[in-house]
Parts: sequence; structure tokens; C-alpha cells
Amino acid sequence: MSPQAKGTLDEYRAPATLAEAAEALADGKGTVLAGGTDLMLQAEAGKTPYRGRLVNIRRVAGLRGVTEDGGTIRIGALTTVTDLLNDPLVAEKAPVLAATADKFASSQIRNAATVGGNICNASPAGDMILPLLALDARVELASWRDGALATRTVALDGFFTGPGATVKGPEELLGAVLFETPPAGRTARFVKSGPRPALEIATVAAAIAMTVDGGTLRDVRLALGAVAPTPLRAKRTEALLEGETLDGDLIARAAETVAGEVNPIDDVRATAWYRKHLVTIYVRRLLQDDGKG
Amino acid sequence: MDPIAKKSVIGGRVPKPDAPDKAVGRTRYINDMVLPQMLYGRILHADRPHARIVAIDTAEAAKLPGVHVVLTGKDMPRMLFGVNRDNRPLKGDKVRCIRDEIAAVAAESEEICDAALALIKVTYEDLPAVFDPAEAMRPGAPAVHDEKPDNLSLAYRFDHGDVAAAEAESDVVLDDVFDVHYVTHCCMGTSCAIADFDTDGKLTIYSQTQYPYNFKMDLAPALGMHPGDIRVIQPPVGGAFGSKLDVYPYEPVCVLLARAARRPVKLTFSREEEFINAPTRQPARIHLRTGAKADGTLTFRDVDCLLNNGAYTSWGPTTPYVMMRTFSSHYRVPVVRFHSQAVYTNNPYAGSFRGYGNVQATYATASHMDMLAERLGMDLLTLSLKNAQESGEVSPQGSVLADCAFAECLTVAAEKSGFLEKQARYAAARNTPGRIKRGIGLASSIHNAGGAKIHKSDGCGTIVKLDDYARCTVITGASEIGQGIDAVLCQVMAEELGIPMSDVTIVNNDSAIGPWDVGVHASRTTFIAGNGARRAAQKARAQILKAASHQANMPPEGLDLREGWVVLDHSGEPVVKLDRLLRQMHFQKDSELVMVTDYYEPPSEEERPGHVGDMSAAYSHAVHVAEVEVDTETGEVRVLKVTSAQDVGRIINEMGLEAQVEGGIVMGLGYALSEHLLIQDGRVRNPNFRDYKVFTAPEVPEMDLHFIESHSQTGPMGAKGIAELPTIVIAPAVANAVYNAIGIRFKAPPLTPEKVARAIWDRDHGAVAAE
Ligand SMILES: Cc1cc2nc3c(=O)[nH]c(=O)nc-3n(C[C@H](O)[C@H](O)[C@H](O)COP(=O)(O)OP(=O)(O)OC[C@H]3O[C@@H](n4cnc5c(N)ncnc54)[C@H](O)[C@@H]3O)c2cc1C
Repeated sequence: MSPQAKGTLDEYRAPATLAEAAEALADGKGTVLAGGTDLMLQAEAGKTPYRGRLVNIRRVAGLRGVTEDGGTIRIGALTTVTDLLNDPLVAEKAPVLAATADKFASSQIRNAATVGGNICNASPAGDMILPLLALDARVELASWRDGALATRTVALDGFFTGPGATVKGPEELLGAVLFETPPAGRTARFVKSGPRPALEIATVAAAIAMTVDGGTLRDVRLALGAVAPTPLRAKRTEALLEGETLDGDLIARAAETVAGEVNPIDDVRATAWYRKHLVTIYVRRLLQDDGKG
Repeated sequence: MDPIAKKSVIGGRVPKPDAPDKAVGRTRYINDMVLPQMLYGRILHADRPHARIVAIDTAEAAKLPGVHVVLTGKDMPRMLFGVNRDNRPLKGDKVRCIRDEIAAVAAESEEICDAALALIKVTYEDLPAVFDPAEAMRPGAPAVHDEKPDNLSLAYRFDHGDVAAAEAESDVVLDDVFDVHYVTHCCMGTSCAIADFDTDGKLTIYSQTQYPYNFKMDLAPALGMHPGDIRVIQPPVGGAFGSKLDVYPYEPVCVLLARAARRPVKLTFSREEEFINAPTRQPARIHLRTGAKADGTLTFRDVDCLLNNGAYTSWGPTTPYVMMRTFSSHYRVPVVRFHSQAVYTNNPYAGSFRGYGNVQATYATASHMDMLAERLGMDLLTLSLKNAQESGEVSPQGSVLADCAFAECLTVAAEKSGFLEKQARYAAARNTPGRIKRGIGLASSIHNAGGAKIHKSDGCGTIVKLDDYARCTVITGASEIGQGIDAVLCQVMAEELGIPMSDVTIVNNDSAIGPWDVGVHASRTTFIAGNGARRAAQKARAQILKAASHQANMPPEGLDLREGWVVLDHSGEPVVKLDRLLRQMHFQKDSELVMVTDYYEPPSEEERPGHVGDMSAAYSHAVHVAEVEVDTETGEVRVLKVTSAQDVGRIINEMGLEAQVEGGIVMGLGYALSEHLLIQDGRVRNPNFRDYKVFTAPEVPEMDLHFIESHSQTGPMGAKGIAELPTIVIAPAVANAVYNAIGIRFKAPPLTPEKVARAIWDRDHGAVAAE
């Protein structure tokens, strides 16, 4: 790879506060470094050239950890995938995130990979995005405006605009991801392809959140990975399931609907045919309470 | 002093002497080495499959600060090397595959090299390319080498008996095409060389080679040098598996850079470069016809094999030499016809890889045995036993199967795994509900286990010396590439000389010191170097006992060496301490040192014309039974258990043996299920570990290993070579197991989830199978 394609770095910053970090990004000429597990590889390969100033956010205080406040769970951008695997609050209130973390990369990568990085990298195959989409999460974006720290909140559904592209501006930093604490009785599950128990980039992955109320499905959220240019909410399938009784016939119709709703591609990892095939299988499994991959 | 009892270390569990350093990260691999004044080298690869090189402009690159040398093929005479003498270090006028080396840079850092490479401007004129060997054979196909308009690289033929007559006598004839794929070695240490010239023009090359002595001979023509002026140093390597059994262009390129720069140059591949530019296993299209009588007796095998040679010829296209042994000796086959052709294309090219053709051939033969059993309504074990050779049988190519334990391997593997009972049960459950199906499959093979006489000599030299403290140094031609020969040689010395293994030092990393050896290949090292070391140790022992017999005033036959002492053989009573005796021998009037040499040549033959000859000093069999679970929706195949029974002759180091068998099985499972170097239009599409899926630790199944000791009369202490069979046998065992589970036969590995899911879907939806 030619060095030009990697972009050049002529400045390095390691801010200690969110405000300093936002300031370092204010001119839109900073590249954020979190765990670096996507960034380093992509920059080396010339896919995402550095913007000139490397802003290492790992020393920013208060961006790591999971907290609950007033019925809202907040996950700091620097929370690692390993953190999710071990966090007691996650285990109690949103175990689907730990289940996803368990299928994520390998121990070494999980120790470095952050939730914020997974979201901002905006890969259609980003695993952690899917359960967060299913939990109706939103993200907090911080920036430096008129000499002060400003934040806005954006729903995760709608955040992604294409492979590697989001509505976040280059001057914005993702500070946290938030969602309402799932009420008792809400179920959420995650499935991911691949016979490998570790180090598998999803051929297809899927997450669901739903409330089964006396056999009737309510508030169904179905998120799919690696079947479209962005992580996808399968809204037609969600609508089909909403308010219906969960039975074999409904599951068959859901599988059929979802196949028409995805738009996968052929690539080195799989053909579009196989991705569609897997999506229908996974939707059936998610609805049948058979999370085994 | 108390008497000292006789003890043997053979068959024990001996950790590899290099293991502690590797475990704590102390080992200085070649990739870690830095020489004073050293520069770094890198190569500009063509990145296009077929083109004329119109112009190369290196002016800008040469001007970059820190750049010492920029070389192109135009700067040097046409120095040809390789099996067919069809390769050059840097290509001058034409590109024949994406690997082609167009230019090279030596600079003060790898980063500067990369920057310089980016400044080299090459003008190409693309040519029509050909990637499929069948297409490349058609008249009018683009010629890869202008001198070879028919694109034919190498052909092999073996004909034994009359196929038509045998076919007329057959009740069943199976006729199938097996298509085996590209995989690559994935050594943990990427390809690397360091070249260093003396002021008098002599070269020292630090190399990962696994055949240091012939390496000099093969490297010399690429450099226009005399082999005698090349010294090969072999620092520890991160794996080789056959990938370092030839000279590849990066090696002469590194040397040429060092010569031009007058400085040492180190050239290392990045992982991506390694995937694209290192050799592969030879892919093959094998058209196999197998005949049998209704009672299961094999009547003939008729094979046409088409090989994609790629652009240049390394060892890959010579693997039919081994394939034909499989087709003619895997089971008793009275009539054999084998024809193979390797055809040039604009693809990357294959080298040698653990199994050397037998992996490919056994996938076909062992699949066919399973298919034949079903066609005949026989069980596979009975069919196999009926056709398994016994000791003393001679194959059509002249392999003499002495000390043969094939039948025992079959019986043990089948019994220990519950093969017959499970196979029937799983087949019966195939059409019952449930998405997870189980299956069990059995496969076997034969391989040379006493070297392979592919050169005039298949020997190995050994020097053994004992110093004044009874410390022993073994200088052997045999290389250690991680396979564990050092431990075996320590055991042999300990056994013959009665010294602790920790008192033995192995020296085998410098061609200026070591005596000649063919190299690490053909599962030969323990057999050949072990035999040689044993003979050398016995000479040393005889010298010591003769000296001791003067002291003890009794014949040497009455003495033995135990635990650092000379003792009376019958009672174990100590006579004199070994180190003391050695000093006495040394510091006396007629002083002598214990320093002996041996050159061991195995009792094998080179093939005569027609490919007949007993080319190995021993042969061995292995049988694997694989049990799998298939998810019939996603197509995922999980291997639950592998039962292996292998004729090892005799166990020397049980730990080393287990490691080789387990490692071989894991490597073979990757071949069977997940590994596939995807080459499309001549380009490697998955040059990374994300998309090239080696088997990972959590996927590794339970393994139940059984070692059958047939006590080879030619092997060291009865041992046979063991290292390739595990990789050879496992893939068809898995494919047979998947057949048992779902009733679909896969003739083209790997059995990836998508391939399996697609085949099931096609069958269930009445479509024509994808295969
Ligand atoms: C071997 C391997 C296996 C992997 N396996 C998986 C897997 O199983 N599943 C999966 O989903 N991913 C996987 N990945 C991808 C990667 O690990 C994850 O996407 C990870 O979560 C990225 O987090 P990071 O902290 O390393 O991000 P970084 O690499 O530091 O950043 C990624 C991108 O996001 C930007 N960024 C990061 N944080 C912020 C922020 N707070 N605000 C604004 N921008 C930000 C960066 O500038 C960069 O563009 C794997 C990667 C490797 C190397």
C-alpha cells in the first residue's frame, strides 16, 4: 500500500476531558482513535485515510462503563466488549448485550474493542449494533460549538447511511449510547453465523427484542446484520409480527417476509443466496427461542 | 556403589528441547534478527495476471532519501531457476501471474521501501490471460511462456496391466471427478531471508529453508554463483510444512539487493504478501474410475489427473509422482493406469505441502472406497479389510510392504470408534425430523515412512562428539523446523551412550558445519537422521567400550554405558565414570578424542523408467474415523471426535508423536472444512486470516489416538516416519461422515457451510446439485 493512501498524521492529541476532545475535533480534521481494532487496519489498508490529527480518546474521563439512571441505561463510548461480557448491570437488565459480546471476535480483540468504535465504524456486519437497534437505543454526539461543549441525541435507527457512513459529522464525538431499561417480560436475543466459536465476521447476524403478552407479540424489533449496506431494521417483518399470535404459521410468514426485505450481496464470505437463506433461518430461530448459531 | 540398572528412554514422553524458549518468548526467530548495517528489502509485485512490461521507471524511487538500491529485471542477465528452469528472480519483459516480481528496493527501513515502491512507474500492456488448465490446453489459448506454446509443463504416466480387460471382469465401475482446491501453509513466521556478502564475494544467507544443502544448488543458478560459495544459516523458523522446500524468487532477490548494496539485506513478507506470494498446495482435478467385483475385490484404478501448474513450476506439479503411488498402492489394486498433465496458466503456483500429492489422491481413493461399499451393499470395514495388503506384498510400482499393519489399523480405528454400529444408526436417522444430523466416516491411506529416494541419495550425515565432561554434541544434516527431530536425536544419544538427554546438544543450523542431508520432507527425518545418529552413536560407544575394556581388563561386550558410567553389563556394577574415562583417553600418550562420523543411506531404490522401484525403506498406514454433526439448515459441520489408528513402527517420543498427529489432523480439518485460497481470474481474493479460515482452537474436536507398533526392521529402533499421514487421511473421513449424516457426497472440498447448505437445499428443492 502506498503511504499516500494511508493519509499522513502530523499531530497527536490525547485529551483528558470530553470538552477537550470535542475541541480537538472542532475543525473536522481529526481522526478519533478508540480501541483501534478497526481504525488501524483500515488506515493501513488505505480504506479510511487518517485526517491529519490523531485524537486518542482513551484517556477521556467518564466515557467508560455502564450505568442506570431514571430508567435509562447509559453505556459510555469507551466501554469495551469485554466490559459488557462481565458487567453485572448488563447481565441483569440487558443480557442480550453480553450474549452478543460472547460471540464477538476473540478475547484479545474484545479487550480493546469499544462499543463506540463498533457503532462509529458503521460496518453492516457490526455485531453490537444489532441488539442496540433492537433495544431502540440512541446515541449522544458531542461537539465544540461557539466555544462550548454541545451535545445532540440521535436515534440509532437512522444513524447509519451506508457502509462506514453515518449522520455523525467529522467534528462530532460519540459519547454514549442510551436506551430505556427493558421492562420485565421483554425478551431479546442475538444469533450469528459461522461454525467458528470465535473470530468470525458475521456472514449474517440478527437480533430481536419483543414482548410476548399472553401469546401475542408486542413491540417487535428485528435488526439484521450483513444483509444490506447498513445494519437493517426489518420493519416490514416487524409489522407483520406486531400484535399477532406466535405460532408456526406466523413464523413461516415472517421468514418469507424477511427474505423479501433484505438486499444482500455476493462477496468472498458468502453469496447473496446464502445470506438470504441464513436470514430466514435466523428469524425462525429467534422466534422459536432457539438462539443456537 | 550400587549397581545401575538398564533403562530405556525410547517410547518416553520427552518435551522438545526448543519448547521452553518458545513458550517464554526467548527464541530468536529469523524474523527477529537484525545484523549490523542491515538494510531492508521489498518487492514490487505485478498485481496483474498477464502483461508485457513496456517500461519501468525507477528514477524517482532511486532518488528517495534512504534508498540504496533499486533493481529491475532489465538490470540483470536471464538467470533461470526452478523445477522447469522457467522462473527468474525479477521478471524482465513479461508478467505471467500476479506474484511476478517486477522491481525490488533496498532501503534503510521497510517504510522507506514502501514509499520507494510507490514511486516506481511500470507501463504494462495487458495480454489475454488463461486461468483454467483445460482452457489453456486448447489450441489458440494464450501462451504463458512464449517458448511453450502448448502450455504443457509436466506429464506423468504409470501403466500397469490391462484396464480394458480388468474392466470387463468388473461387476461395478465407479466413475467420478474430484476437484481439490488451493490452500496455503499459513506458517506463523512469514517468508523471510537475510543475505550477507563477505568482501571476497562469498554469500551467507540466513534462511527458513528446510533443505539447506540442495538449496545452495538450486539458489546458485538464480544468482550466477557457485553453490560452494553459499553458506546457509538456519535460525529458528515459525513453521515450514513444505513451503520452504524450494527456492522462491524473494530469496535470490534479497541476495541480489545485498550484492548491489554491499550491505546485509533482510526481506520479509507481510501477511498479505504471504497469502498472495507464498506457494500453495497443488490443486487437482482427478478423474478416477475404480472397478470391483461383486465380492468387493478391487479390479483396477484408472486415473486422469489435470493440474493447474500456474505460471511457474515449483514442486506442486511434481506431486503426481506421489499421487500415483497412492492410486497404485492404497489397497491392493492389480491394474492401474495413471496419467497426469500439469498445464501452465496465469494463476499463482503451488509448491510442496505436507502430504505431497497424497492429500489430493487420498481424498479421491478414500471417498471411492466409501462409495463402493454402499454400491456393493457391503460395510466399509469388511470391504477395506478384504483389499488391505499384508506384510510382504509388493505394489504395482514395486513398493514392498514390510511390517505392514494396515488391517490392524482398520480394526482398531473401527472398534474404538464404534464405527459400524454408529454408521448404521446414523444412516437410518437421516430422514427423521430434526435439523442436526450426525454422521461417522472412515478413511485410510498409505504413505512412505522410510524416506523417498527422489534423488541419487536419500541419506543423512551425522557427526557425534563427546567432550571431556561427557557432554555430547550431535552435528546432523537434518533440519529442525519445529517437527521435533532434536528431541529424537537426544533420545537416541541417551539410549546408546547412557547419558542424560540434557547433556546432548544438537547442531544443525549451518551448512558450513553440518554434513549433507536431503532435507525435511517425505516424513523422513526421524527415520533417516534417527538411523544415522544411532549408527554414529554406536560407533562412539564401541570406541568408548574398547578403551574401557583395557582398564577393566574384560571384553567390551561385557560392558555397558548407563547413567554416565561404564558398568558391567550383567550386574550393572560401575567400573569407571564416563567423563573420567574420556579424559583418560584424551590426556594420555596415544591420546584419542571420541568424534565419529556416519553417512546413512536407506535401503531404498530410485524409480526405474516406468516409475517402478521400492522408493522408500518403509511404508505405513493410518486410519481415521471422524464423527460429525451437520446443521442441515445452515450447513455448518462440526467435528465431534476423531479416532486415529496409525502404524508408527515404534514410538520413540510419545509427546512428539502426539503433537505431529494432532497437528496434522487439525491442519487436515482446515483442508476438509474451512480453508480455501480463493483464486479468481488469477487473483487471490482472501489474502487475510479473516477470510482464509484456518481451524481455530475452539473448533478442534476430541481426538482418540492409537499408535500401532509394527516394529519396522529398517527403522531406528523400529520406528517409521509418521508426520504426513494424519493430514492426508482426515479430509475424506470427514467427507464420508457428512455423507453418512445427510446422504450427499462432496467431491470438492472444503465442505463450507454455504456449500453444504446449498447442496441440501438443491436436493430438497429438486434442483441440479451444485457440484
Ligand atoms: C480480529 C478482529 C475480529 C473482529 N471481530 C469482530 C466481531 O466479531 N464483531 C464485530 O462487530 N466487529 C469485529 N471486529 C471489528 C472491531 O473490533 C469492532 O468494530 C470494534 O468494536 C471497534 O472498536 P474500536 O474501539 O477498536 O474502534 P476504533 O478502531 O478505534 O474506531 C473505529 C472507527 O470509529 C471511530 N470512532 C471510534 N470511537 C469513536 C467515538 N467515540 N466517536 C467518534 N468516532 C469514533 C474511529 O475514528 C474509527 O473510524 C473485529 C476486528 C478484528 C481486528
